[in-house]
Amino acid sequence: MSQAEGGVITSAFILLFYLVFYGFLTAMFTLTMWVMLQTVSDHTPKYQDRLATPGLMIRPKTENLDVIVNVSDTESWDQHVQKLNKFLEPYNDSIQAQKNDVCRPGRYYEQPDNGVLNYPKRACQFNRTQLGDCSGIGDPTHYGYSTGQPCVFIKMNRVINFYAGANQSMNVTCVGKRDEDAENLGSFVMFPANGNIDLMYFPYYGKKFHVNYTQPLVAVKFLNVTPNVEVNVECRINAANIATDDERDKFAGRVAFKLRINKT
Amino acid sequence: ARRGTGTEDVGKTDTGDGKEKYRGLKDKRLELKKNHQKEELKKEVDLEDHKLSIKELERKYGTNIVTGLSSTQAAELLARNGPNALTPPKETPEIVKFPQADGAILCWIAYGIQYFNDKSSSLDSVYLGCVLALVVILTGIFAYYQEAKSTNIMASFSKMIPQQALVIRDSEKKTVPAEQLVVGDIVEIKGGDKIPADIRLLSTQGCKVDNSSLTGNLTPSLRTHDNPLEAENPWNKMSTSPVGTATGMVINTGDRTIIGQIASLASGVGHEKTPIAIEIEHFVHIVAGVAVSIGILFFIIAVSMKYYVLDSIIFLIGIIVANVPEGLLATVTVTLSLTAKRMAKKNCLVKNLEAVETLGSTSIICSDKTGTLTQNRMTVAHLWFDNQIFVADTSEDHSIFDQSSGTWASLSKIITLCNRAEFRPGQESVPIMKKVVVGDASETALLKFSEVILGDVMEIRKRNRKVAEIPFNSTNKFQLSIHETDDPSDKRFLMVMKGAPERVLEKCSTIMVNGQEQPLDDSTAEAFHTAYMELGGLGERVLGFCHLYLPADKFPETYSFDVDTVNFPTSNLCFVGLLSMIDPPRSTVPDAVTKCRSAGIKVIMVTGDHPITAKAIAKSVGIISANSETVEDIAKRLNIPVEQVSKRDAKAAVVTGMELKDMSPEQLDELLTDYSEIVFARTSPQQKLIIVEGCQRQDAVVAVTGDGVNDSPALKKADIGIAMGIAGSDAAKNAADMVLLDDNFASIVTGVEEGRLIFDNLKKTIAYTLTKNIAELCPFLIYIIAGLPLPIGTITILFIDLGTDIIPSIALAYEKAESDIMNRKPRHKKKDRLVNAPLAIYSYLHIGLMQALGAFVVYFTVYAQEGFRPSALINLRVEWEKDSVNDLEDSYGQEWTQYQRKYLEWTGYTAFFVGIMIQQIADLIIRKTRRNSIFQQGLFRNKVIWVGIASQIIIALILSYGLGSVSALNFTMLRPQYWFVAVPHAILIWVYDEVRKLFIRLYPGSWWDKNMYY
Repeated sequence: MSQAEGGVITSAFILLFYLVFYGFLTAMFTLTMWVMLQTVSDHTPKYQDRLATPGLMIRPKTENLDVIVNVSDTESWDQHVQKLNKFLEPYNDSIQAQKNDVCRPGRYYEQPDNGVLNYPKRACQFNRTQLGDCSGIGDPTHYGYSTGQPCVFIKMNRVINFYAGANQSMNVTCVGKRDEDAENLGSFVMFPANGNIDLMYFPYYGKKFHVNYTQPLVAVKFLNVTPNVEVNVECRINAANIATDDERDKFAGRVAFKLRINKT
Repeated sequence: ARRGTGTEDVGKTDTGDGKEKYRGLKDKRLELKKNHQKEELKKEVDLEDHKLSIKELERKYGTNIVTGLSSTQAAELLARNGPNALTPPKETPEIVKFPQADGAILCWIAYGIQYFNDKSSSLDSVYLGCVLALVVILTGIFAYYQEAKSTNIMASFSKMIPQQALVIRDSEKKTVPAEQLVVGDIVEIKGGDKIPADIRLLSTQGCKVDNSSLTGNLTPSLRTHDNPLEAENPWNKMSTSPVGTATGMVINTGDRTIIGQIASLASGVGHEKTPIAIEIEHFVHIVAGVAVSIGILFFIIAVSMKYYVLDSIIFLIGIIVANVPEGLLATVTVTLSLTAKRMAKKNCLVKNLEAVETLGSTSIICSDKTGTLTQNRMTVAHLWFDNQIFVADTSEDHSIFDQSSGTWASLSKIITLCNRAEFRPGQESVPIMKKVVVGDASETALLKFSEVILGDVMEIRKRNRKVAEIPFNSTNKFQLSIHETDDPSDKRFLMVMKGAPERVLEKCSTIMVNGQEQPLDDSTAEAFHTAYMELGGLGERVLGFCHLYLPADKFPETYSFDVDTVNFPTSNLCFVGLLSMIDPPRSTVPDAVTKCRSAGIKVIMVTGDHPITAKAIAKSVGIISANSETVEDIAKRLNIPVEQVSKRDAKAAVVTGMELKDMSPEQLDELLTDYSEIVFARTSPQQKLIIVEGCQRQDAVVAVTGDGVNDSPALKKADIGIAMGIAGSDAAKNAADMVLLDDNFASIVTGVEEGRLIFDNLKKTIAYTLTKNIAELCPFLIYIIAGLPLPIGTITILFIDLGTDIIPSIALAYEKAESDIMNRKPRHKKKDRLVNAPLAIYSYLHIGLMQALGAFVVYFTVYAQEGFRPSALINLRVEWEKDSVNDLEDSYGQEWTQYQRKYLEWTGYTAFFVGIMIQQIADLIIRKTRRNSIFQQGLFRNKVIWVGIASQIIIALILSYGLGSVSALNFTMLRPQYWFVAVPHAILIWVYDEVRKLFIRLYPGSWWDKNMYY
């Protein structure tokens, strides 16, 4: 056997070794991952400690949480309108009526498994019309964006098995962050009235169980924001079991965004 | 000028080539400092001082030999010329810098750009920059501190005995610190004093000076004022004066002394980089190469994947930080200093930390003879009387030779009486062999010999009162004294004489055999010569002894002997016997030389001594093994001329300085490669340097031992210079990397063992440290390519590198050797690297990859159990990291705010961190051995490993549960069960490595062995 041949054979051995070795490692990794995934249920996550306080968010969703409307410039708000149209589509009354139940307001809509898997779980109707002037149905003002009276929708993050409000009614309130913001903010109206969120939309059972779940919304229509000024708005939920004063998580039970109406 | 010797010897140990040596040194110095010719000229003039008369000297130095300098003059001169001390060589610690400094700067630049883009950008990269800068500074300070600490040991060591000098100033005798001596001072030297500066002798009383520190030889030379033109009249600083008193004028101080000049010559010799420094540099190159190439590769990938350039830079930093073992510098330093400490306990004091390992890779030791291989004290070895050679071993039972003979009675009497050496008073409790003696080496040996055998010598001398004496001088070559006898009935005087055997024999007409005087005929003379040659051939210094009872009628009790006119007979004496002395080898040396040989280390003897003496000692300690012959030996055995002997037959060679002088470098190379056992005799300091350079040309790592000032250039040139702690001069100690506190060659062997062990253990440490780099690097790569939320943060990586991993990697330094490391060849400087390809590949692509997978399992577990299944994580990065996205949906339809995600990300970091930490425990255990099974090595033998493991776990627990609330550190409290997720992978690592070692042991030399053994 020449030296070159020996070299080739050694290289072949090494190649084979690495094939086997990495194949084995892949198998080992896959196996451990598989075992690990067996510990995870399909329906509910194993731990929810991080989600004790649901966050709030606004729609339209923008890059830096700022809603800027140039009244005269259609394009500046048209993207918001498009997003909102899309976002509100599942709330159309027809769809809601078709898929979801009419529930009794003021109490949780619990659907326990009682030993047998209760699947899929039903969701309660949240009709788009409940959003009143902000529903955008037959609205020539495009959620008020064309007139400088924009609607901003507040939603609360979904958390599985979370009984928001602890059996008491809850609502969303909005204020200007600082005094001057409060002045510039002017008046606004909320839909549903008072920014109420009904208990019947809770608890949430997760994507897989709660197939047609539509989370409740609160729409805020700003009627006379001082134009050409940046206004810092902060909305928070008033619920017995949702703390809104977390120092580190600025979005725990609240949401802060900027509103600017540019008029010429 | 031929220097007179105290007692002449056959070996002609000393021919006073000291001056020649200086000249050689001066030549070298001239070469070095050609531009300083003016200064050179001045020095030349200074050396002429011994030719000036005392008056001229007084004028030249503005002093007076009676009154001395005035204090003010002295103070002025001191201020002008500086203290009489050698300037210590400057120590510059070498700090290996990792590219962290660049990382820190990059971070701050990144933050700067970020800040300009967005004022509210997070401070993460600033933290990171600060941490990186801190790491650079701390490791730098740490290395400096370690270096300084070992230098301090040295400093304190040399300052242990402050030297004092007796000086005449303002017409008064004063004792001042030797440092304050100035040129022109008149100093008085007593026996045993160190000469504090270069002095010109003014007057002496039987004073000899031991210049061995300067010339490397033991024999003291007699200095007389009679011949002021003798070159050695100026006595040199550092020499010691064993006997007599003298007065002299200081002509040179401090760095301007001969010693100082040699010392500065030494500092002019370039010091090579230590092998370990080269290895670490090589390692840094590998790591930096990997880091930078992966970093740049992924920078390009990131940019082409449309990441922002700024983000790409941050990835680059992450990759570099992940790749650079930040803690390694500190670890290596600590490891080396631990070994240094261990070696100090075994009498090897390491000055330069890196030298610890150098000793281990040593392949040639150039050893001094005197003091290192030998005991540096003359001892009586053989006696010849009654036509017989007797072995005298004063260390053991001394009745091995026949003491009943009448000849012995006479001989012992001569030995006792014809001797001027005396014990220093006040040493009654000290064993004889350890008593301090005033007298030269030969006389000391004789005194101790007779004290051991005959008992109280002083008492015998008292009983045989000395009436006259002719001390030894270089013309006579004998010493004579006349005594009364202790026999009250015998009124004759006894004249005793000792000296160079042939000179003594000349004066004899009879010889004593079995106590009876017989005429000295040709056959007895023949016997004498045979014995003389035999003893001389053993490399021993031979003395002849004779005596004569002066007839009572001619020399009555009242006779007045006059040594100047010699009014007594000095011929027709009765020859009694021969005695030979040798500086015997240290008892531990032969064993140590054998060990060196089995460890593949060549021991070369380099000495200024005579070839015969050198060869004899070399034979007795095994440097020339019992069955090997030199060319000359073969010629003698076969009775053919030396030229006809085939050089291949000879294993050993004895080369003198004269022969060496005529050799070209090529011939020297040939000599060094052809012979395995070499002795260089009669060598001068710069020849020692040539020998060292020759060895270094063979790619050998050369250790040089030495004690004299003349050795310092070679000590400096050597890869590792080893100075003697007891006999060594300050200059030698300054030039050396290591000091043997007990002057014992055997200590070098322990040093070699420690050095080899540390090399092996550093390999393990580096393998351990490198492994996790892959586990730290993969997250970044996956993050960039697959868009997972970042599995581990840069700061977290630093907590592994500088936190949990530090103590375990130091613990590996305590690991015992796997096999007998003294039975293998020294490592080849260029072939056996500290970090070789198998080590890097095995660490990176085998264990490192396993670790990465294991850590990913922990990471995925945390995310999955919190709601993000692995599939949901892919390409989630952009949304995940957006601050404005506060309703990111997980696999279950739940929505997460930015902070909730961030916290989960930190939990991911902690999980990944714990995953690596758990697997590093397995890594630590497998790294205990490279070939043997862990169970062969013993899991619990190295307790420090367990301290390391405990420290890892405790630090991780503190980080997670104690500091989990400090947001800047990015740690969170991890659920207890996550600590165990990586355990199966850890076990897999252990099992896999055991299999690797098993195959290595089963199939040595196979492709597996070649590729898997690091």
